[in-house]
Amino acid sequence: MAHFAKLGVNSKVIQVLTLDNKDMLNADGVEDESVGQQYLQLHNNWPAEMWIQTSYNTDKNQHNLGGTPLRGNYAGIGYIWDESNQIFWRPKPYPSWVKNTSDASWHSPIGDPPSLTSEQESENNAATHKWEYVWDEDAYQADNTTGWSLTNQLS
Amino acid sequence: MEKKVLSEQSLYYGDVAMPKGWDIDRDKLSQDILSYSFTNKEFPFSKTWDMLNTYIKDHVGVEHNINLVNKNSWGNMYKPGQLSKPILDVDPVDLRNSPDFTMLYGVNVNNCWIKIYYEDNRRKGRSWDMELVNNKFIIFPSTNMYVISNEQKDSLNFVQTITYEYI
Repeated sequence: MAHFAKLGVNSKVIQVLTLDNKDMLNADGVEDESVGQQYLQLHNNWPAEMWIQTSYNTDKNQHNLGGTPLRGNYAGIGYIWDESNQIFWRPKPYPSWVKNTSDASWHSPIGDPPSLTSEQESENNAATHKWEYVWDEDAYQADNTTGWSLTNQLS
Repeated sequence: MEKKVLSEQSLYYGDVAMPKGWDIDRDKLSQDILSYSFTNKEFPFSKTWDMLNTYIKDHVGVEHNINLVNKNSWGNMYKPGQLSKPILDVDPVDLRNSPDFTMLYGVNVNNCWIKIYYEDNRRKGRSWDMELVNNKFIIFPSTNMYVISNEQKDSLNFVQTITYEYI
């Protein structure tokens, strides 16, 4: 089963459809994206070039089954197609976050959150707390060296 | 102090921005509305109608997270100077089988106005007016009564209606 993302005029994904693999075989019996695009154009009244194949098993530029990742992420409704980088981007989580094409993900402008201390980890494991760093955009906008805020999700 | 919204009446409107070369064939829809108006048959299914319907469902879904399912469809033409009678697309004694949303699309219109009536708690009989122009749509709750007026003296106005329920 193949998956194709339908793009709106602003490159936003507006639908994701499945396609039987036999409907995208070329004359040599090889799966060909352009054949699938033509099939979808014919049956869905939407131009072929606005159907982009996407991989169900690709997430953050990794293939879940060890295969070759395709176009960064499995497309979802609301994702943005990036033609030049050949990546489906998730919606931007915060205004300050930036794209990282190597893992097809958004990252905070000050990097990943700090690691939890061993004490916090043990409290999480004991389920007495659920310590997590969450992004505080307001804090970042006020001081661009901060942004991660340690929060107990159980409180 | 906190706030909880129990109900809201939202309107969604905009242009049907199709890809270049894939514009809605509004002449075809006008012909279908014309023939539909003189027969008792169901509104004809066509590739053009399907493109419009799919566009609306896809874009309302992606922009507003509302999944629409078709209920009914028809088209109307309004003579110069004509004011429609008040239209209510729900059946008050059969709400179960009534639509949630009404979509109006300007097929071939000129100076065409939609007046949508609503209630704001004890303030009854309020209304909101919007001009329906070619290739523009408006979606609103089917529980709102509305009228359509053709406010010029030269040409017919063609309006496509599709009703939906949401899931």
